Amino acid sequence: MIYQPPAGGRDLLPHDVAQKRWIEDRLEQVFQRWGYHRIITSTVETMETLMAGGAIEQSEVIELQRFQGGRLGLRPELTASIARTAVTRLAAVTYPQRLYYSANVFQHTETSSHGGQQEYYQAGVELLGADGLTADAEVLLLLTDCLRGLNLTDTHIVLGEAALTYSLLSAFPETLRQQVRHAIATLDRVTLEALPLSESLQKRALRLMDLRGQPQAVLRSLQAFDLDLDQQAIVSHLKGLVELFETVEQAPALILDLSLIRTYDYYTGIVFEVVGQRRILGQGGRYDHLLGVYHPQGESSPGIGFILNVEALHQVLLPSGQLPTETPPSDWLVVATQTDAIAAALAYAQTIRQSANLVRVELHLDPETPPPTVREIAQKRRIGRIAWIAAQGLPEIEALG
Amino acid sequence: MITVAFPKGSLLKQSIHQFQQLGYDFSDFLDSSNRQLQIRDRSNRASGLLVRTQDVPVYVEYGQAELGIVGYDVLREKRPRVAQLADLGFGGCRLSVAVQAQSAYRSALDLPPHCRVASKFVNSAREYFQGLDLPVEIVPLYGSVELGPITGMSEAIVDLVSTGRTLKENHLMELEVLYTSTARLIAHPLSYRLDADGLGDLIDKLRGLSWEPVTG
Repeated sequence: MIYQPPAGGRDLLPHDVAQKRWIEDRLEQVFQRWGYHRIITSTVETMETLMAGGAIEQSEVIELQRFQGGRLGLRPELTASIARTAVTRLAAVTYPQRLYYSANVFQHTETSSHGGQQEYYQAGVELLGADGLTADAEVLLLLTDCLRGLNLTDTHIVLGEAALTYSLLSAFPETLRQQVRHAIATLDRVTLEALPLSESLQKRALRLMDLRGQPQAVLRSLQAFDLDLDQQAIVSHLKGLVELFETVEQAPALILDLSLIRTYDYYTGIVFEVVGQRRILGQGGRYDHLLGVYHPQGESSPGIGFILNVEALHQVLLPSGQLPTETPPSDWLVVATQTDAIAAALAYAQTIRQSANLVRVELHLDPETPPPTVREIAQKRRIGRIAWIAAQGLPEIEALG
Repeated sequence: MITVAFPKGSLLKQSIHQFQQLGYDFSDFLDSSNRQLQIRDRSNRASGLLVRTQDVPVYVEYGQAELGIVGYDVLREKRPRVAQLADLGFGGCRLSVAVQAQSAYRSALDLPPHCRVASKFVNSAREYFQGLDLPVEIVPLYGSVELGPITGMSEAIVDLVSTGRTLKENHLMELEVLYTSTARLIAHPLSYRLDADGLGDLIDKLRGLSWEPVTG
């Protein structure tokens, strides 16, 4: 019998962990530099909590056995959990709240064509209780800083505005609006062209689907849409955001894409995706109604955040040669040369371990091993120095080439 | 450089002709002595992959090809996450329910509940019969589906029909049409959004082409 991890599970060996930590450590440093604090929420949530926001399908959740009548599931993302705790336990703190997380999530992928992986790692932030241009800019620039922290070049940020696109969709008859929205969200031009729309609405739908490209050009072509006052306000907000973004040095290329919407109501303002090497590395957006859903009295407060997919980042970083290719070797191998020297070897190893900087010290466990074999082992394990310890006298230090 | 996934089989010749009209020459794929599955067009501006028609949306979904040409039937059956950008008009056919010509069935609803239906299009077939609220057992096959009713393994088949000749020669009769299908231009969604390498221009040009059937 061979024991295997469950389908979709994965073990991370020390070498994998070193690479994963390389990514996560850098992201966490950036999060902390922007004043964000780590939050750890429960891996298990009630299905009600997970699905209240409307962005999670029941089929995506790995459900657990019923417990005391409630239905439980493994979190497929953290925003729902953070919203749940933010409106209750964090309610007394002052806003804005800056929170980050680095955690595993679980997604059922049976229904998609991508069966397989079910456990993923995500790092992300939520900026709660703040709206307006500065808050949106903070999150976009923080995202940019994360990419810089990972030395990721040649990335794109695709930026949309859900409120503006939904508002532009309101011109379509209610019976067809959802279909128009679905076709635009999935870039299905063929369906859009086949919908029974008047010629002018047909044209509007196709123009809406093509509102994509260099930000300034897209903002200009928006003028053709005969915008009302609310829509104009969103456009000028978007313009301000684009201008702020363009002041950042080494920023990823920004693409304004008003067809970047979801098929469900969740985002209420800007939405964005980070793309690198044809993969979505992360995504996020503003969700001003979500906290209200979880608040006991339905009091709403704004929120915005993003997640980065650690596996996707790992895939694009791997060819860059930046990730550690090996686990760090030990600095010392402490060898007792005879059985009655074991106490002295333990004591010596402990002394060097206690140095101010991290020193990795391992003990050689068998005093009977002939010295040439010990040297061979040390070299194989890339250990820098051997300390030969006898029962009496000074340790004999040998540096290995 | 833009990579295009071409489907082996009935759509290939016309697909290559469409690109040829825009100055991209992939005609080496039509040469029977050619064994290469990945080639550059003769002007060295684009690259082409020759894959099974069901695999076209796979290469496009994963981004190994930015563009692909594939029948709507494959998209409907596999539901890949790709951008559907144009109905190219050619390669017309229909997915139909067929039974033995001498049978008494005159509509799909005449089929007995829990009968067997053989098909390569299991998802489309299942969806259709669920829509009729008729419980059937779908028997997945990879080819020569017509043998299902002939051998008595199944009461009916769900299969693509273009001229109807194969059905006729096998003494089968078309009962219902699930949907009609034509060739579609599909794109990798992210590449389409990023519009790298002039992808948008090429798509616009392909969309603007009228198609004249190539013969022979």
